[in-house]
Amino acid sequence: MTETHPAQDGQRRAVRTPWRAGLLRGGIELRHLLRNPKEMSGHLGNVVVALVVAGLVGDDVPGTRTPMAHLVLAGFAAYLIFQVGLLNLPQMLVTEREEGALLRLRATPGGIHAYLVAKSLLVVVTTVATLAVLLALAALLVDGPLPQGPAGWVTLLWVTMLGLLAVVPLGAAIGAVLPNPREALALIMLPAMALLFTSGAVFPLTSLPVPVQQAASVFPLKWMAQGLRSALLPDSARAAEAAGSWELPMVALVLSAWAVLGFLLAVPLLRRAARRESGSRVAAGIRRAEQSGVPAG
Amino acid sequence: MTASSAPVVRARGLTMAYGAVGILHGVDLDVHRGEVLALLGPNGAGKTTTVEILEGFRRRSGGEVSVLGSDPERGDDAWRARIGLVLQSWRDHRRWRVAELLTHFAAYYADPRDPAGLLDLVGLTEQAGRQVERLSGGQRRRLDVALGIVGRPELLFLDEPTTGFDPEARHEFHLLVERLAREEGVTVLLTTHDLVEAERLADRIAMLVGGRIRAHGTPAELARGAAARAEVRWTAADGTPRRERTADPSRLVWELHRDAGGPIAGLEVRRPTLEDTYLHMVHRPDDAAAGTEGNTNSEERAA
Repeated sequence: MTETHPAQDGQRRAVRTPWRAGLLRGGIELRHLLRNPKEMSGHLGNVVVALVVAGLVGDDVPGTRTPMAHLVLAGFAAYLIFQVGLLNLPQMLVTEREEGALLRLRATPGGIHAYLVAKSLLVVVTTVATLAVLLALAALLVDGPLPQGPAGWVTLLWVTMLGLLAVVPLGAAIGAVLPNPREALALIMLPAMALLFTSGAVFPLTSLPVPVQQAASVFPLKWMAQGLRSALLPDSARAAEAAGSWELPMVALVLSAWAVLGFLLAVPLLRRAARRESGSRVAAGIRRAEQSGVPAG
Repeated sequence: MTASSAPVVRARGLTMAYGAVGILHGVDLDVHRGEVLALLGPNGAGKTTTVEILEGFRRRSGGEVSVLGSDPERGDDAWRARIGLVLQSWRDHRRWRVAELLTHFAAYYADPRDPAGLLDLVGLTEQAGRQVERLSGGQRRRLDVALGIVGRPELLFLDEPTTGFDPEARHEFHLLVERLAREEGVTVLLTTHDLVEAERLADRIAMLVGGRIRAHGTPAELARGAAARAEVRWTAADGTPRRERTADPSRLVWELHRDAGGPIAGLEVRRPTLEDTYLHMVHRPDDAAAGTEGNTNSEERAA
């Protein structure tokens, strides 16, 4: 990094550490998010849907004394993490790529580094805050589940963090390759919905055909939901799990595997996306956006 | 031309090809410290490609390039900090407020300009609290300029900076660029289609046609090199309007006066404009391209 250039005149300008700029940036983006009613309603809308569904289902999880509503809430909590990483993040990346924000940061010393710091901060805070709101409101309004003792809280924490690690790099990789924000949403929404319904997030996995169960268990959402159930539901509820247990080692293993895969994909793809960013590309993207009649973003 | 030390931008034999399609066929270019160089050329001539290679955003196929002493392909953050960019297509950070955005970007540099002073410099003090997406086109561009110079760059790239400006905003912008170049010694590489702007701002002009620098020099040198001759118009004794193109209008006028033995009706000497030169360069066949740097060309025909 610090090779010297003989042709350069003595006054080499120090560059500030991008951490500080990144945290500042993350803070400002959070403030903008809080002030944006449209995006806030997007995040809180999911919470409302989860609460309504939880309020409507009345039965117990078959074979247990745990209310079905608890399983649904744990599943929605997992889906919220999943959505932040695989829906919100790629959309944000594609939009900012198209508008030229990424290019401007690329042209700024330490800009891309600060961008990653800011987005990490934004994703973690958004996820934790949404989960907290969901669990708090559920506990208050529909007698929702809360972790049972310190072990439950620890499980909640690590499953949330590992879940984020499993989906965020993957989401970044998707955001790096998707063509534009309009197509991005359509391309991601359908598989995300399919997974929501096949991963045992909103009703017990065991009620689905075995091939569907097997297919869903390849993806992280099933394991995130299972991990959160283990944190939020009483131990007796594991009787309803496909394996008859929470399979926490497997949860950790699958989520870690997705995290590794995500990083392996994201690093080169983000590099490539940033490298390809240039004025003429941004201009071309904006022309396309204008032709399709939708303002970028 | 300026005989300063090493040029800020130096390209030799710069080539760029996408597969079999060649875009640049050996561009040689120097930009000296404190100089404003305008890069002109028709669309598709390779202007954007050249500039993006110099900015470090594109990999070249061949040739040597040095920008501020480094190869732009290996430019690190310290190198980036010495370069400012104003592109035409930015519409980022729409939700940010003007002062907030400028203050934020100042945070990336060790010795930034004061954001408030900078807003004043580009005339956006009144808009400081406004959201970026609510700025007019001209205001947005001035904000882009402010963002481009907040880190006190030594080299500033301006890409079609005044597209969509009204005449007054354009005038203000020109004063700002002149001030940066003359008073602060910022080196500026300007690409534009506005020939009046190029003539007004640029110390030197380089014309990129068909992936090569067809000519470069001051506007006057270019006119000589392009053999765009001055045009002399007058009304002959029989009342018919006459016009003649010549490399030496002074001699022609003197001859006319001598022949007429008195004043000449409707006498007008029209120096070649940059536009004449430009059109001449762009339409000139390829073979005459080599080695034109301000030297007079003898094979020209009056248009």
